Amino acid sequence: MLANSAELFKFTRLTLIWLTIIFGSVWGACFVVGVLIPTLLLHLGENEIFALLAQICQYLTPVIAILVFIPINAMFMVLVERRGLALFTVRMGPNRVGPDGLLQTAADAVKLLFKEDIIPTGADAWLFTLAPIIFFAPSIFGSIPLLAAITGNNDLFAITNLPTGIFFIIAASSVPVVGIVMGGWASNNKYSLVGGLRSAAQAISYEIPLVLSLVTICYLNQSLNVVEIASRQTGGFLNWNIFGGGALNGLDKYFNALINGSSNANDILQAYYPSNQWILTVIAIAGLVVSTIIAFFMYITAACAEVNRIPFDLPEAESELVSGYNTEYSGIKFAIFFLAEFTNLFIVSSIATIMFLGAGNNPIPQFLIDYLFKNVTFIPQTINAITQALSPLINQIHLINPITFWSVVWMIVKTYSLVFFAVLVRGTLPRFKIDQLMDFGWKRLIPLSLLVFFIVIFAKGVINTNV
Amino acid sequence: MSNLITRAKDSIYQVLRGLKTVAVHSLRIPTTKEYPDTMPPLPPHFRGRLALNVNPETNEHLCISCRQCERVCPDKCIEITAHKSPETNKLELIDFKIDHGLCMFCGLCTEVCPTDCIINTNDFEMADYSREALVYDIRKLTLTQGESSHYFAAKEIALPKPKPTKPAVTVTPATSTVKPAEAKTESKPAEVKTESKPEEAKTESKPAEVKTESKPAEAKTESKPEEAKTESKPEEAKTESKPEEVKTEAKLEETDIKSTDNDIK
Amino acid sequence: MSTNLDTTNLKTDEMIINMGPQHPATHGVLRLILKLDGEIVRHVEPVIGHLHRAQEWQGQNRTLFQYQALIDRVDYLSGMFTSLAFAHACEQIDGCQIPPRAQYLRALVCEMNRISSHLLWLGTFLIDLGALFGFPFYPFREREKLLDLFEEIAGQRMMFNYIRIGGVQRDPKQSWFEKVRKFTAEFPDRINEYEAIVTQNPIVLKRTKGVGILDKSVAMDYGVTGPSIRGSGINYDLRKTRPYGIYPELNFEIPLGQNQGDTWDRYMCRILEMRQSNNLINQCLDKMPEGEILGKKQIAGLRIKAGEGFAAIESPRGVLGCYVISNGSDKAYRIRWRNPSFCNLAVLPSLLIGRPISDIMAIFGSIDVILPDVDR
Repeated sequence: MLANSAELFKFTRLTLIWLTIIFGSVWGACFVVGVLIPTLLLHLGENEIFALLAQICQYLTPVIAILVFIPINAMFMVLVERRGLALFTVRMGPNRVGPDGLLQTAADAVKLLFKEDIIPTGADAWLFTLAPIIFFAPSIFGSIPLLAAITGNNDLFAITNLPTGIFFIIAASSVPVVGIVMGGWASNNKYSLVGGLRSAAQAISYEIPLVLSLVTICYLNQSLNVVEIASRQTGGFLNWNIFGGGALNGLDKYFNALINGSSNANDILQAYYPSNQWILTVIAIAGLVVSTIIAFFMYITAACAEVNRIPFDLPEAESELVSGYNTEYSGIKFAIFFLAEFTNLFIVSSIATIMFLGAGNNPIPQFLIDYLFKNVTFIPQTINAITQALSPLINQIHLINPITFWSVVWMIVKTYSLVFFAVLVRGTLPRFKIDQLMDFGWKRLIPLSLLVFFIVIFAKGVINTNV
Repeated sequence: MSNLITRAKDSIYQVLRGLKTVAVHSLRIPTTKEYPDTMPPLPPHFRGRLALNVNPETNEHLCISCRQCERVCPDKCIEITAHKSPETNKLELIDFKIDHGLCMFCGLCTEVCPTDCIINTNDFEMADYSREALVYDIRKLTLTQGESSHYFAAKEIALPKPKPTKPAVTVTPATSTVKPAEAKTESKPAEVKTESKPEEAKTESKPAEVKTESKPAEAKTESKPEEAKTESKPEEAKTESKPEEVKTEAKLEETDIKSTDNDIK
Repeated sequence: MSTNLDTTNLKTDEMIINMGPQHPATHGVLRLILKLDGEIVRHVEPVIGHLHRAQEWQGQNRTLFQYQALIDRVDYLSGMFTSLAFAHACEQIDGCQIPPRAQYLRALVCEMNRISSHLLWLGTFLIDLGALFGFPFYPFREREKLLDLFEEIAGQRMMFNYIRIGGVQRDPKQSWFEKVRKFTAEFPDRINEYEAIVTQNPIVLKRTKGVGILDKSVAMDYGVTGPSIRGSGINYDLRKTRPYGIYPELNFEIPLGQNQGDTWDRYMCRILEMRQSNNLINQCLDKMPEGEILGKKQIAGLRIKAGEGFAAIESPRGVLGCYVISNGSDKAYRIRWRNPSFCNLAVLPSLLIGRPISDIMAIFGSIDVILPDVDR
């Protein structure tokens, strides 16, 4: 038995409660704006204006979902971070406010909102006020294309399905650095200035490996559309982009046929990996798998630098620059900086999930589930029965959609696992130095990402010519 | 190139090793002591709030007004008021004040005390709303019999010999009669005190009478007989403590004492 | 990897930054006036004195007995050592005999205090390096155990007032010794854990290797002592070179830095010292004799003979000296402290010139300066 089971249980319970709150409220808001109000409007009369209003409401749903989601999620993530760090450092963490510390961050947020809003003497008041907004805004509009992928292309969010989604996200994610530099410069504080300048240098350097690793995946999937990239990874972890971006598709199908006792298993293998050039094929596939795994970790590293997490939190660098670019900020402006920081962490984690870790798809291959639960009939039966019972609700008023539901659940699990990993890293590693950061970015990550990109191109070419 | 790869491999291994060590810590029981809920186990010699002992057996006040503690205190936070009793020619303790806002809890006073009267208790929760409230007078400082015996046992101090001389006993009513009033304000376990109260009441009655006779000067200040709510014994305690003390008492927020003080004025 | 960044061709204005006294990483109230060229330090001027409490003056105006309670505050992380230095100086004047049990108890609590001081240093050093949220709690967890042990014998956690002129204040019970044994049994595992996280961590290595190299000659010129000079490879430890107390009877080796005397060497030196102190505690516990603990009666009018005496001991930060002139009364005529932090701080500017801002904290952290010890 685990020695610390009590604390772990508390942590799990707290996480589940918060997740329920977050997604309950987001779903409620979406339901009200996207389903309830339009339906009511349409029932009011056959008026063109009402129809237009209903349409507008439906279009607004993604924005409402994000606006509800971001603050609550940030509160939850701060709590997870604090409780998680407490777990790692053999402490208890905040457990006073609310039952078991549940409301700690909510209380913190309220406190920050009520604090005096100070603009220091000599600061450029306009830029000083504008900086947090510029820092925060991209995390709202930048995350919009992700919604379609997260919700499994639900009708209500289909509008956010941009054909160049990932391009849009990357473009949006490079805006916040302007806010940091602006805040650092406007604060009239030398520490802030140094922090802002560091941040600019860092963001520029680490944008390149970040984008290159994502481009690799886009190339493998022949698409910039996040929904399409997500849908290509269905059917178990072998199809995930992190394992060769579809290079192991044949293996997946082969195992499927093998387990189900199908006679054409070898044919399938032959079709995917022709045996006449098998050495070349194996090398190409191995190269693909290795390079995509490297690309994933490169993405994680560069993303850490993008969102200023330890070990790349140089713009804040508490022991050197006091608090870096947000030294002079307090009250609601600081709250916005804080909010955006954690939202950015969530966004980069969900991008990693969508691009590398199979988005909202089940990590366990479908054939394995079928095989294991072949004799256990009551589980699928129960699920079927529940689906049947809820089907009027699902069909009539879009109460819940099983595809969306499971997609969101898997997204949550994978994304928050990555977030938790970031917490673990924060609890372990010290900080880089600015010159080492630049060294690492330009001399290691960028050549490596270029190398990975070229390997992927050649390997993909080899596979394509053989098939 | 190979050097680079080995270095990269080694670095990744070391980082993972660190991550593993940190992650494994999450399986250990937290070391946090949830202080207000569970009091920390303090050793008996912990240097907390200063207090004055009474004899655990006879309930006599142990202070002999030798002023050793006053002299040795590096902060000069102890102030003893004593006077020579005219008939016995011995020092009588009138008041004992410790400014806990000034005290640095070095414990030197407890070391030099010849009768083990002044001790460091295990109490450290002394936060208050004003500096004046941190100046503890003899009423707040003197421990009950139960508490004294607890500290005598915990600190392994030899029990004091009962004092043979009678006049020394006359000091006790001043301190002990106040205790019932103080017992309410203190948040200490109450059982000990409630037991000791009736006993005190009995034992005090005699010496109290003796003293009022011996001090005619105080009798006039005490001339109001209409303090019907409190008995005659607590009343005596006030008259003994002289005008200068009445002032400081007015600052203290103990309601019982305050109400009676106003009557005197 | 370029360690000394050359920006001579990119000439920009120098920026003056006041680092401290309210800076999170200046270990209290040190103020550093930095002239920065970009991120490179071109000029450093440490400003001290914000924490001056006139410890020497207080010693001259209070009786010896009273002053014993105050000297823990000279260096609040190693109160046992400041007490010990003062007691040694006074005993040298007075010539009083110290019972062997008191000698062993002194060595025991001093080594425990050395561990607790180094543990605090380890935590704050990692904070300086940027591991702000996770690691520093581990050393503080062990330090807490040590402070609880101190609390049991001395009555308080940091202001011990335990080592007295002529002996020690209180004889601990057997259960206390068992608790110490329990601590020493598990402590090496804890150090292994710290080392697993820190010692070979690539980021730590990058931040510390080759950073802040303290040359032997420079170190000797400035009078640097303690683990900082031993990190540079100079074998100078008063416990060996000028043994005091019962250290000649104990068996131990002085750990030295293996490389050129950089930040990492000083880190390693302290880690090894913790292991060695743990070992010394065990030796003290094994050899602990029975008997008296006080060779001089502790009374309010504690007096020593007239004369002057100087005692130097090896504190966690270096050579801690105390010079006392007594005229035979219960007050010292003159007291003078030689504080290791003060001398170690003097070498800081020569280490910082030409380094980026991030290195300031790594180097400053590695020489382990305690500001009350500097300012007294």
